[in-house]
Amino acid sequence: MSKSSVFYDKFERHSHGEGLKGNSTHYCPGCGHGLAHKFLAEAIDELGIQDRTVAISPVGCSVFLYYYFDVGNSQAAHGRAPVVALGHKFANPDSVVVSYQGDGDLASIGLAETVATAQLGAPITIIFINNAIYGMTGGQMAPTTLMGQSSTTSPAGRNEYMGQPIKMAELIAGLDGPVYVERVALYDAKQRIKAKKAIIKGLKNQIEGRGYSFIEILSECPTHLKLTPEENEKWVKESMEPIYPLGVKKDLTVEPWFKRNPPSFSGEKILSLTGATSEHPERFCKGFPAQIAGLDISLKLAGSGGDGAQTAAMLIARAAINEGFDATHIPSYGPESRGGTSYADVHVAEEEVLNPGSSSPDILIAFNAPSLVKFGPTVKKGGTVIYDSSVVTEPPVLDPSVKMVPVPFTGIATDLGKAVVKNIVALGALQAATGIFPKETLLTAIRVALKDKCALIPLNEEAFAWGIKSVASLTD
Amino acid sequence: MALKERPKPFLLPEYCKGCGRCLDACAKDCITLSDQINPLTGLIPVVMDLTNCNACGLCMDACPEPYGLRATPEGGVEDFELEDPAKLFGVKPSDAPEPVDLPSEILPLSRTEPLVIKGTYASAIGALLAGCRHVYGYPITPSTEGAELMAKFLPKLDGTFLQAVSEVAAVNMMYGTAGAGLPCMTFTSSPGFSLMLEGVSYMIGSELPGVFVDVMRGGPGLGNIAPEQSDIKLACHGLGHGNTQAIVLAPSTPQEMLDLTILAFELSFKYRNPVIILGDGYLGQMTGKVQLPETLIKPGIPKWAVYGDAMHRRNLITSIFLTETDLEAHNVHLNAKYKAMQVETRAESFLCDDAELVIIACNTPARMAKGAVQELRQKGVKAGLFRPITLWPFPVEQLVAAMEGAQRLVVVEASAGQLEDEIRLALSKAGVRQFPEIESVRRMGGILPQQEEVMAQVLGQKEARV
Repeated sequence: MSKSSVFYDKFERHSHGEGLKGNSTHYCPGCGHGLAHKFLAEAIDELGIQDRTVAISPVGCSVFLYYYFDVGNSQAAHGRAPVVALGHKFANPDSVVVSYQGDGDLASIGLAETVATAQLGAPITIIFINNAIYGMTGGQMAPTTLMGQSSTTSPAGRNEYMGQPIKMAELIAGLDGPVYVERVALYDAKQRIKAKKAIIKGLKNQIEGRGYSFIEILSECPTHLKLTPEENEKWVKESMEPIYPLGVKKDLTVEPWFKRNPPSFSGEKILSLTGATSEHPERFCKGFPAQIAGLDISLKLAGSGGDGAQTAAMLIARAAINEGFDATHIPSYGPESRGGTSYADVHVAEEEVLNPGSSSPDILIAFNAPSLVKFGPTVKKGGTVIYDSSVVTEPPVLDPSVKMVPVPFTGIATDLGKAVVKNIVALGALQAATGIFPKETLLTAIRVALKDKCALIPLNEEAFAWGIKSVASLTD
Repeated sequence: MALKERPKPFLLPEYCKGCGRCLDACAKDCITLSDQINPLTGLIPVVMDLTNCNACGLCMDACPEPYGLRATPEGGVEDFELEDPAKLFGVKPSDAPEPVDLPSEILPLSRTEPLVIKGTYASAIGALLAGCRHVYGYPITPSTEGAELMAKFLPKLDGTFLQAVSEVAAVNMMYGTAGAGLPCMTFTSSPGFSLMLEGVSYMIGSELPGVFVDVMRGGPGLGNIAPEQSDIKLACHGLGHGNTQAIVLAPSTPQEMLDLTILAFELSFKYRNPVIILGDGYLGQMTGKVQLPETLIKPGIPKWAVYGDAMHRRNLITSIFLTETDLEAHNVHLNAKYKAMQVETRAESFLCDDAELVIIACNTPARMAKGAVQELRQKGVKAGLFRPITLWPFPVEQLVAAMEGAQRLVVVEASAGQLEDEIRLALSKAGVRQFPEIESVRRMGGILPQQEEVMAQVLGQKEARV
């Protein structure tokens, strides 16, 4: 067995990486990390994936994984290695991404990322070093510290007030995402051979696109467990193994499924998704309707959810933009998902909408009495209020200069057989009462909006026509 | 014998830490701990007597050091005692190639009629045209529609949208994809942006590009989902721990949501740094006219990326600099980059040339202010609007030019003074000491200052203020 070529010939990234130290790890004598590194390097070598491998270094003693592995390296924030791994995997599905993490990183601060990534099931390989203690910060209690085990933050031994040791392999195996979960150890020659095999299998699952693999390695930390390496091996076998039983926890036979095409950069595709078209919409306006309120008309449409105020607002904005004007629409809803208040501020300007808010509109379309009471008084002098006279029987008294246009939106729509078209009745009324745009401008916007539901076009056209008629009948 | 002889172990004592894990592994008891300290390492290495060795190899499997117990090279080992053993392994640290930039391509896009879309959609479409095919996010009102549109469009472009377990996970997915050298983004809103800041600091430290669209909402805490300019301080001066800065863009129309998103990707790769787009809830929801550009970007792979292929194998993405002098040097490098970003200031001056009264506002409040400027002009007041488009770096030179003839400055904002603080800091750093007293029109809690309130302030009808 010669040393794996996956290790750098010299550990130059080590800040003391000169001379002799340029070929020794920074790990304490007897530390299990070195073995896990060796087995991972050998596996990468054996599988011929050195160029494709991206190793994610965690925070913990193995933060300096990138000193040693001659592969693509990325160093993650504490606990976030698995989601960093996902970011790499989805960026290049051909890469082989290994998230190498200790117990504090994986089972404590990164627990949410660990579980969610496992459940997502995308093919990445997690190497989890469980040595029952925090190494880098100096021997504090880990989530995997055994009951009774002392550490600098459980000096009298871990007790029930500090919670129980977490069994990650079993937890991960209990999820539906992973395909392969095994717990191995390093304490004797037999276990080391199994550990090596498990790492190879975990990487193969990824290379073949079969899914997510999790390999938990019971490891030694002689320094912080205050044991000799030999005693520590014995301790792993006799104290850790009963709590963390070795073996395969999950091994599904799954056909390769992770196959992703390279992303498309077709402009045509993007345009078709956005609905952008090079067809010029037909224009019907002879000029900007400056007679209403100068070069910037402010409208408010107010009702409750389901009245269609937002759709009507959007149609006005589209109609204006089709005519070459500028327009804005700001929706505002009550906190309810359904049935709450629903207000829309719309502006139509010849050149540029300056202020898109309609705190004092030129035109108010009110779909119910509360909306009329609330916003009626904000309408500008000389403005117009169009309201649903089917539901508003006693309109409030507003400034005498404000033109009141009662139209039975609901009544007409119900007579047509579909109450939902009351907003289109309102648009017809708006057209007739203000002359904001020619009829065809609004009708075109309506037809375009319904291009996927052509069957509804005649009904909407009828509703629009009835809106116009009922305004005309007011002046008859 | 047809079988090749298996190699026996070989050890350079300089690379042995004396842990003794090989002792148990050897069934033939070939290995013992020495009783002498190695003067080069200060450690006690093992010693081997290979008389009984059957070359089983188990001792090598038990050695935790990459250059510890190894197979004896063919042809044996030269006498090395007087040599630096490191030289035995050659001097090249890696045979990986020297990476080169794979440049982005600019592709033509047919000219189309303007779209009528909301701000978050405009930003999402901008990102697609900028070449972004990786979007990670966590649902949060009022930014979610951007992510929803991406979830709908990206699968059709063979892109990736992942809904993360949290904003913390989302930003770290970005760290991974950005580390691979590809454009990526997220949509979020104030509380979510707070959660992402750890990752933003790591991205800045590791010099990774990425675009954050923060559709700001009312705070602190859970606050509400209505628009507030609540994160100006956070984006300009609080991007997580350490010496962090990023370009902060403040659009005020759906069109700018698209244009500035495209710009954000460009700047983010230019400087290898995140870019923050601060929108507000109104802007996110506001529908308006949006003209698409006539080009789109197909991204390349920069030479620094860790893409996961032979070309990029020697690269490393990290923000750790263990040695103090190294970290100081890295910060000096970042500072030089922040300084270089100063050329990216952008601002709009509306009717400021002869303005005696300059209103300063950004995002949607700038539109209310613009309405007020027009109304004031109609009343004969020489008013102008100065709108910073980059909040960091702050366009202070443009501001100084805009307020040259100003006798009054009015800052209009939907926050408790976060914009005003930026203005004061920028003026102070630029050495501008003489400027009119700053008046303010501020609303908080999700209420935007209205045109009427600006008018009331300017015309001295202060009782109209809330």
